Amino acid sequence: MALSGLGLVIYVIFHMLGNLQVFEGSHALNGYAASLRDMPILLWTARIGLLSLAALHIVLAIQLTFRNRRARPVAYAVREYRQASFASRTMAASGLVLLLFIIFHLLHLTADVIDPFSADRLDAEGHRDVYGKIVHAFQNPFIVALYVAGQLGLGLHLTHAVTSSLQTLGLEHAAFNRLFNAAGPTVALLVVLGNVAIILAVFFGIVRG
Amino acid sequence: MKFTLNIWRQKGPGEKGRFVTYEAGDVSSGMSFLEMLDSVNQGLIAKGEEPVAFEQDCREGICGSCSLVINGIPHGPDRGITTCQLYMRRFPDGAVIRIEPWRARAFPIIKDLVVDRRALDRVMQAGGYISVNTGGAVDGNVLLVSKDQAETAMDAASCIGCGACVAACKNASAMLFVAAKVSHLALLPQGKPERTRRVRAMLEAMDREGFGSCGNHR
Ligand code: HEM
Ligand code: SF4
Ligand code: FES
Repeated sequence: MALSGLGLVIYVIFHMLGNLQVFEGSHALNGYAASLRDMPILLWTARIGLLSLAALHIVLAIQLTFRNRRARPVAYAVREYRQASFASRTMAASGLVLLLFIIFHLLHLTADVIDPFSADRLDAEGHRDVYGKIVHAFQNPFIVALYVAGQLGLGLHLTHAVTSSLQTLGLEHAAFNRLFNAAGPTVALLVVLGNVAIILAVFFGIVRG
Repeated sequence: MKFTLNIWRQKGPGEKGRFVTYEAGDVSSGMSFLEMLDSVNQGLIAKGEEPVAFEQDCREGICGSCSLVINGIPHGPDRGITTCQLYMRRFPDGAVIRIEPWRARAFPIIKDLVVDRRALDRVMQAGGYISVNTGGAVDGNVLLVSKDQAETAMDAASCIGCGACVAACKNASAMLFVAAKVSHLALLPQGKPERTRRVRAMLEAMDREGFGSCGNHR
């Protein structure tokens, strides 16, 4: 759970950093996208690696969730949590939101199924126009709302996930515990802020075609 | 003081239980929670009804027998105490109080509010001990233990095996119990040599007993 999750976390961070190049204009972003596509072996290794990580993570998550449900067959009539955070108690729900979002996101911007409008457009340099695609996509308020909701799910999941996986791996030391505790919320905040900045910058016309 | 109690009644293991409402009148604010239940039971017995079964022994917070989930919190609303140390002055007069047993697959209900906690004993039997003979009591200064180490071990040793951690955990995991036993023993020189074997054995036993897994909730 922790290792597959941390693998996905590292990907999400680089994915966000790569996409921040939208702020440097279409040349930078489309060039970056093209350079990824120019290395088909690397690209497909990464894709297969990611897919298997995600599959492993989901299978383990389902097993774990059902096992934990079975551990308390009769629920309490009244329940008050004194310590466990909202994020930690809703990992399965935020994970499900993430899964739905990831499927939508892949169909939308990778497979161009949801909105084929800019699928085959090229920019002035003959690269696939990823920049134009993003600018087109996030002018639609429904798409913006869906993506922001997905990011909230991601933020909630990561807030607990990163700190929890450090604990699962046995990283515990009086001198570093404050750092470990802060890691989850910090990573969550940075990733979500980075991604939401891209979405809103397009929506409010700061990044335009 | 007066209270309305919603208490879980269940005739025996595997039977269908339900909440039954009782009125507790004439309660003094200095009564402990268990004394309040005693007085309710006196009333039930006088009426020829079956008293509410609950577990208790020392009534001073050391044995770990008492085990009630009170308004959704194991051992009730105060921190760091057991049910027997909870006093009725803690509740507003006329309050409605919900009383449930520990709920976990590993703790099957025996009757009403009494659950079978032998699963924790079996986890202890799997490794919560030291298997060398230490002989008679040696001079206290033969084995040196630093103050910090002794304090930390003592903190872990304050686990009285009540099972409230299992009752409170969203996943009904016994991780806190196992962690307390494991750290208590591993921190002291007598328990150190077996510490890795002990952790594995106790965790395996915990899984076998049907406790959930730790989600590092925080
Ligand atoms: C695709 C759908 C996903 C589902 C269904 C899902 C579900 C779960 C569940 C149920 C847990 C276990 C929580 C617990 O221990 O109680 C978990 C943990 C975790 N998830 Fe996800 N998740 C998903 C996506 C992701 C993504 C995209 C990332 C990274 C960006 C991620 C990172 C993590 C990490 C690091 C943990 C912590 C593991 C630990 O506590 O040891 N997950 N996930
Ligand atoms: S660790 Fe669990 S079993 Fe031990 S005293 Fe605390 S709540 Fe009770
Ligand atoms: S009766 Fe012994 S701890 Fe409460």
